[in-house]
Amino acid sequence: MNDVILNLEAVDKFYGPIDQGVHAVCNISMQVSSGEIIALLGSSGCGKTSTLRMVAGFEDVSRGKISIRGREIHTLPPIQRNVAMAFEGYSLYPTVTVRDNIAFALKRGKLPAADVARKVEDIAAMLEISDILDKYPSSISGGQQQRASLGRALIRDADLYLLDEPMGQLEPQLRTLLRGRIKSYIKEHGFTAILVTHDQTEANALADRIAVMEDGKLQQFASPEAIKKSPANLFTGTFVGEPPMNVFPALVNISEATVTFKLESDVQLTYALDAFSTELRARLATVGEVVLGVRPYAVERRQTGSPATVVANQWLGDQSHIAANFAGGSIVLVEHDRTHLEKGQKIFIHLEPSNIHIFNPATGIAISHGARLVG
Amino acid sequence: MSLELNEISKNFKDDKVLDRVSLYVPEGKTLVLFGPSGAGKTVLLRLISGVIEPDEGHIKISGMDVDGVEPEDRNIGMAFQNFALFPHMDAHANIASPLTAQKKDKSAIQAGVQGLAKLLKIDHVLKHKPKELSNGQKQRTALARALAGKPKILLLDDPLRNVDAKLRFEMRLELPNLLYEQNATVIYVTQDYKEAMAFGDQIAVINGGVIQQIGTPEAIYLTPANVEIARLFGDPVINLLDVTLQKDASGVFALISEKRIDLDASYASVVGLECCLGIRPESVLFVDRDHKSAVPVTVEAETPLNEKTVNLCLTARGREIMASRPSGTQGPAGGEAFVAIEAASAMIFDKQTGALIETNSTDISERGKVT
Repeated sequence: MNDVILNLEAVDKFYGPIDQGVHAVCNISMQVSSGEIIALLGSSGCGKTSTLRMVAGFEDVSRGKISIRGREIHTLPPIQRNVAMAFEGYSLYPTVTVRDNIAFALKRGKLPAADVARKVEDIAAMLEISDILDKYPSSISGGQQQRASLGRALIRDADLYLLDEPMGQLEPQLRTLLRGRIKSYIKEHGFTAILVTHDQTEANALADRIAVMEDGKLQQFASPEAIKKSPANLFTGTFVGEPPMNVFPALVNISEATVTFKLESDVQLTYALDAFSTELRARLATVGEVVLGVRPYAVERRQTGSPATVVANQWLGDQSHIAANFAGGSIVLVEHDRTHLEKGQKIFIHLEPSNIHIFNPATGIAISHGARLVG
Repeated sequence: MSLELNEISKNFKDDKVLDRVSLYVPEGKTLVLFGPSGAGKTVLLRLISGVIEPDEGHIKISGMDVDGVEPEDRNIGMAFQNFALFPHMDAHANIASPLTAQKKDKSAIQAGVQGLAKLLKIDHVLKHKPKELSNGQKQRTALARALAGKPKILLLDDPLRNVDAKLRFEMRLELPNLLYEQNATVIYVTQDYKEAMAFGDQIAVINGGVIQQIGTPEAIYLTPANVEIARLFGDPVINLLDVTLQKDASGVFALISEKRIDLDASYASVVGLECCLGIRPESVLFVDRDHKSAVPVTVEAETPLNEKTVNLCLTARGREIMASRPSGTQGPAGGEAFVAIEAASAMIFDKQTGALIETNSTDISERGKVT
């Protein structure tokens, strides 16, 4: 299970001359094991698509090495890399039907025609395109083309599947449905896949591990759970998670019996000394200034605590998003029930140490998660 | 100022883009216009702004017919999708333009522009010309300009469309407050159901040029007028299971995998009719084997969805049922599990027409109210 399928070693991408042009991908190293689904997640311009295109062979590697199953491939043309691709712009053959487009990759193999036909029908049913199999690409919608192209990639046998925003053009309802089915399909077949997306919901839903990218750099490469529980830095912490993590600059004061965080507007969070590990306290004593991060669903309302004033309460069907003025800024809470809170109402906030992330304000690097020192 | 649309129709050649649309937005309230692309939302805004004229029907502002009133005399602020910023002016001057036109003094203009720019996170690009702004920044500049003049009526055409998830969320919380403070009467167009529920005092669902339902976010979510609307609100999408309602001595029920889902007695009128039982994923619960209405399922997949965990389940007869629950709560014990459907949250739709079948237990007071 732990065979390495894809290995990126110190890969750089410059658009323009090396070390002078735009540094789109900076010194990325990562290994992808057999059977894994990896998501490259980031906002536009973060380098995720450039990375995928280098693996596919559509972009040259400026520096570093890429190998698939131990074979260096970064100088080979795309066709010799044994990868299956569903890319925007990697279009369908216009002169044949959707059915023949999807079957194309199989026909060159040795499967009997009946098996090919059945496989095409199965994959089309999964992708909800059975009704357009006999149409030509020019007569179907963008979303249908995207699914046809996805079907053409997933029906193949390849070492690696590269999917660039594979569901970007689909309406939200269909996207949710297909996410589950595509994940099951990839897992059943034991495929190894890399998906590029800017949509964290999609990354969380599909990927075993997420590579979060920003400014061409790999910010964190870990499971969705690990990224949620232990964001490596402030960028990852506030980028992944919806609604975004609440953050507050604070001054730390450690006395004989308590740990106190002094936030803006004289809000003080005071905890018993033993709520934080000895190692963490020692570390906090050296930094003085920190940034506290708490996810919206981990913010508690209690009978007593730090006062806050509700400024908005939005019910979204299955959860309530509440915003309140707190510590000179605002804090967001998520509650899974319908919460009847009025604008202007006073509430009391409690932040449990086990839900607090602490970051270094200068570097943004995480110091602790849940009252435990990182590392 | 209130805004009223009375039986508005509009054709482009033979194409009927709006068909007898009636809406009423009281002063200071926000009506969200929600629907797929091509539904007629933008045309409706253009009619209200006065850029085009309706073929039939009347538009009234504060009860006064504005038929024939020029766009600039309607006291309407707009932020449309094509941005329409003045290309030769920087963002600051663009935002300031309604204030300059109102001959406000310099310090008031400065304060007005800065306040909005800060709120919309464009204060760092105020010196940039439109062509130097990203699409999201252009959109927010247009929004700031629309807000700057504090018009009594605001038409906002999907103003957060190109904005990234994080900022979009912040705007979702802050913009309604600003609109409230300005006491603006707003029509807000969006395709994002969360935005619709967060912004709207009322939501009007439009499709194919026809208003399908008007109601509070609560009414739309809990009693959608038809299957299509039910599918448009909520993530993951609502489960729709084909059923035929039955009746015996103990009442009306539907069968899912031989298990009885007891329904309100008022559904008796549709016994025997082919129906769709709509059940939201958050109303599908994992239960023990001995729960009275435990439906055995195979758990096919588990996926996190923001702060929720979603399980895709299959019944013995291959029906897909999605269940969602807050992350960290008790999920299925293994591949074989049991789910219960909260009958009180079930909606019954006519399979043929897709229309919601109304019952005594459904609170429909808000639904379809065209005041």
